[in-house]
Amino acid sequence: MLRLLLSACLIVISLDVLAARPEVVVRLKDHLFHPAKVYVPANKKVKLIIINDDDDPEEFDSFALNREKVIFGQSKANLFIGPLAPGTYPFFGQYHPTTAQGEVIVLSPGEEVADVD
Amino acid sequence: MRLFSLLLFSLSLLWVSTAKAEPSEGVVDRVYHPYILPFERELEWRFMSRQNDEGNELLQRIAFGHALSETVIAKFYAVGSRDEQHDDFGLEGYEFEVRWMMTEQGKYWADFGTLFEVEKFHNEKRWEVTTGLVMEKEFGPTSLTVNTLFVYEWGDVPDQELKTQLRMKYRYRWMPLLQPAVELYTGDDFIGIGPAFMGIQRFDSRRQLKWELGFIAAVDSVTKDHTFRFSLEYEF
Repeated sequence: MLRLLLSACLIVISLDVLAARPEVVVRLKDHLFHPAKVYVPANKKVKLIIINDDDDPEEFDSFALNREKVIFGQSKANLFIGPLAPGTYPFFGQYHPTTAQGEVIVLSPGEEVADVD
Repeated sequence: MRLFSLLLFSLSLLWVSTAKAEPSEGVVDRVYHPYILPFERELEWRFMSRQNDEGNELLQRIAFGHALSETVIAKFYAVGSRDEQHDDFGLEGYEFEVRWMMTEQGKYWADFGTLFEVEKFHNEKRWEVTTGLVMEKEFGPTSLTVNTLFVYEWGDVPDQELKTQLRMKYRYRWMPLLQPAVELYTGDDFIGIGPAFMGIQRFDSRRQLKWELGFIAAVDSVTKDHTFRFSLEYEF
């Protein structure tokens, strides 16, 4: 019985992996996120590819997104967020919180990007 | 469908957990999360007070933890408890714990990790190993955390057998400083449930304090059996 349930969980996980995911690239340079406003579709899992061009590590931190992730200097890291309801979800770099700030803006279906950073 | 699978999976674990129940102690402790950060260093103080018809059981743990990599953290505990014979507080044992974050947060349907810990009782030929799966699943602003643990004790113990425990926490991420939750603990002939609260206070870019508090009451007992637990975790 337990084996059957574990198999069912693995199938659900596999289907999850096969589903196509939107990807957004965010660069970190001079302790600033570029773009600082990240637009993503609602109700979809999104892969954020964060490239740290600085020599120092940075920790992507967001209580609203429920994510904490360290990106080493001169390297990149993947961050998976969502599915999210439409709205604004702020994030910051924990090691440079005064400069490294941004927000994920989740667009409703059919909604257009108001402005681009 | 996914929610149904999760509930079914959890209920099956609950059945496994209670089917092998034996009277014992220490089921209410902490619900572990699967997440680890590189550079993580922490000092922890855990307090647990259980009150039942046999009296008061008091347990405290002081720990130091250090991340070994991006996905592995090791922790060393000194465990203190109240001596039942002399009614004084003293060292009960030492514990070494390793947690491994198996999946990237948010990548799959749920996030998974494993726990392995070994405890040596002070001045006794008695050892205990605990291992199991740690899982967390997000549902919007809430998170469900499930720990399925297997405990084996050997040495100078009356019965050497494999025991199982299930711990669950359903948390509402209201605000960083205050996150209410409901916790459930089963195992060792005990089923307990109760409210819990936790929060996090940041001081600067690298230092933060996490706190947890819970009050767990037995639901399968006609007599009094409740546990108050509290923990502080300083990360630096």
